[in-house]
Amino acid sequence: MRITAADVPALERGVALLGSGGGGDTGTAAVLLRKLVESGREPRVHAIADLDPTTPVVPVGVVGATAAFTEKLPGGDEFASAVAAIERWTGSRALAVMSIEIGGLNGLMSLVVAEELGLPSADADLSGRGLTRLDQFSVAATGRGIAPAALAEPGGQVVVLGSGSDGEVERGARAFVASSGGWAALALAPIPAGELAEHAVLDTTSSALSLGRRALAAGESPPRHVLETALGGGLLARGRVLEVSRYVGPGQHGRPGFGRGSVTVADHHDGALLRLEMENEYLLALRDGRPVASTPDVLSVLDHRTGVPVTCDAIRTGVEVDVVCLAIAPFWTDPRRLPMVRPRAYGIDCDPVVAR
Amino acid sequence: MILRRVLALPSWADQVTVFAGEPGPDRPLRTVRASLDASASPARDELVALVRPVGPDWQVDALLRRCADVGAAGVLLPGPAPLSASRLLADRLSVPLLLTSADPLELIVDARVLLAAPEVDRADTVLSVHRALGERLRSPEEIVTSLRRLLRCPVAVLDERGEVLAGELADAARVRVTEPVPHRVELADGVLLAQPVVLPKPPVWLAAVLGRRAAPRADVVAAALSVAAGAVQRWLLAHRLELERDARSRSALLGDLLRLDGEPGADLRRRAADAGWRLGGWHVGMRIGVPSEVDTVARAQEVVRALRAESVDAVVVEHGDGWTGWVTFDQEPTAERVRALSVRLRAVHRGLRRTLDSRLGVGRPHADGLAATVAEATDAARLAATRPETGYFLHVDQLGMAQLLLEWTRTDTFEPAANALLAPLHAAPGDLVRTLAAYLDAESSLAETATVLGVHRNTVAARISRIEQLLGVDLSRPDERLALHLAARAVIL
Repeated sequence: MRITAADVPALERGVALLGSGGGGDTGTAAVLLRKLVESGREPRVHAIADLDPTTPVVPVGVVGATAAFTEKLPGGDEFASAVAAIERWTGSRALAVMSIEIGGLNGLMSLVVAEELGLPSADADLSGRGLTRLDQFSVAATGRGIAPAALAEPGGQVVVLGSGSDGEVERGARAFVASSGGWAALALAPIPAGELAEHAVLDTTSSALSLGRRALAAGESPPRHVLETALGGGLLARGRVLEVSRYVGPGQHGRPGFGRGSVTVADHHDGALLRLEMENEYLLALRDGRPVASTPDVLSVLDHRTGVPVTCDAIRTGVEVDVVCLAIAPFWTDPRRLPMVRPRAYGIDCDPVVAR
Repeated sequence: MILRRVLALPSWADQVTVFAGEPGPDRPLRTVRASLDASASPARDELVALVRPVGPDWQVDALLRRCADVGAAGVLLPGPAPLSASRLLADRLSVPLLLTSADPLELIVDARVLLAAPEVDRADTVLSVHRALGERLRSPEEIVTSLRRLLRCPVAVLDERGEVLAGELADAARVRVTEPVPHRVELADGVLLAQPVVLPKPPVWLAAVLGRRAAPRADVVAAALSVAAGAVQRWLLAHRLELERDARSRSALLGDLLRLDGEPGADLRRRAADAGWRLGGWHVGMRIGVPSEVDTVARAQEVVRALRAESVDAVVVEHGDGWTGWVTFDQEPTAERVRALSVRLRAVHRGLRRTLDSRLGVGRPHADGLAATVAEATDAARLAATRPETGYFLHVDQLGMAQLLLEWTRTDTFEPAANALLAPLHAAPGDLVRTLAAYLDAESSLAETATVLGVHRNTVAARISRIEQLLGVDLSRPDERLALHLAARAVIL
């Protein structure tokens, strides 16, 4: 599958929807991708089945403050440095790349990186949506582990977290990013393509693309059922944002917590109050006090008119929005992996409410 | 038990605010349950009281939902206010959401005591009122101050017409003063409780207004008011006794002075000095006459207040059906001063007439001795009773002695003669007798007569010529005029 210029807006919409309010602003990544595509270098995305099972696939992406990524643009060699570092550490050459996180800007960045490195891109990722922490990646959930991980920041520093538990790697990466440029290019150890079925969420780039196409086809201010059909999900509320409250969430193990917040939407249909609890993503939806949807399902807030997903950073009082819930890939609803991404993994003491 | 009754408890009323989901008047409450966090599962008619702050937590919303599902009585949250999302939700689900910055455990204990033994709150309040008011005689002001503190609501003592005697009460006019039984009046945002103190007559009222929040506690406040009514009654009776004793001695002293021929003896002088009365100097007497059913002792204070309000420094004594009084000057007062005094007294009387069916007569200044000026004032007051056009007020200076002599015409022999003289006028249409009297009073001025009667001067002219025709007299002749003037006066009086 080739990503053409016509695909870029659809793919951008698709990954933004899967970001669940997080995953970072897709604008900069979309510009980079469009520039690449317009110069004739259309990235190739290969289904896993089409790859030689021994092909080492390197997961790549941006970690840290995604807002900083927009302010401090990549110099161009961060990803090459990170991939080179992980190749040297593992002694294995990368023959393909994949995204660490399909939701948000990383859903696009892996394609940019693949093209820059001249490698094909694998149709899979480690998240299936937008996630907050490295230790929530599918490789952590299946026990394969994250380490070793290489990080290269725009200032030129490169570190390799050679070993350590998933939690330690997450903390180490976070500390490095915080004390350097705010964001860094991440490359993980290559995974043979044959093992991706077990350790990654498959076909996510292609499904993001088709989701985005359907969303764009639904047009502006689509009727309720048109929107639900297009997204293949449920519309939780269509109304006005009454209140956005942000506060520092409970920290864990001496670490400061991520910023927490609540968004309340009054449904125009019946006046019901939909409250969304958010961290970096929208995590839990309560309708009139009753939990109706939660992570790991994807909760997205769309601008009612344009249909553009509104991230947790950008949402504000007074906008007219549609709140939708998209079913997550079955990878995460497996009882062995659910604990990594259920509300309690974010400190929200509520049982997961997943569609199906 | 209802939730609002608990909210009206003093500790709750002070420290708990209804943040959202205003409870209806009948929302039942079975128990108050303490809960460590918002994950509690409430039961029907149960108030869930969180003992730790939860802040903006979404669990508040979830708890509200569970409360709504089972019909729980509400949620009490300590600490900072939850998000307005929670407020909106509580309103939407009609689940009372209460906030407190106090220790929720203490509030829970208070509520539980009330739930277990509702009568304890009433007994406590009644006892504390009794302790505060019981020991010694207290003035209404003191009683009102104590009650306001103990009952935590505005309290006032009202007189029998609903005027405030002590304290402050915005809705005092709503007390049904014509029904001397304890009653409650529903106000727009609360309740007015009124407790009569029926003895001594006229009754006074103890009234309290409870805001909407405190209204469910009306039974407790009503019981406390009935206890306090006893204290008011004690004070009134004691005060009344003092007044009566004082009034009796003053009116006896006045009687002695008025009966006096010549110089007062040493004993009388001493009694007058004790009462603070000056016998020397120039006196201007006044007499306020009232119907016999008016309690002159009880209302003497009103008269004194009214005089003081116009800065008239007068002695007033309850005397017969009314009050007799006088103003004392060191030297003979000038006409100017007397006129100024008269104007002020007229203003005083206007004020009194709002509540009293009274008439006021004022005498001329007399030196040394009250009898003469008081007697003039008494005559003037009697005349004033028939003068609605002067506001039932007469000053002898304005009348002149000659008109006072008209009193003489009210004799058994003169009246039938006068009636006979004017008989033709009675039969004719138009108020001819009154017109005649007014015309002669006005020194035969048509214009002034017309003003006094409120008719056109041509009407007066027509009536006068008809009178002359009917009676066969010429009103320009002094003798006939005098006879008719006297006769008209006698008939009208």
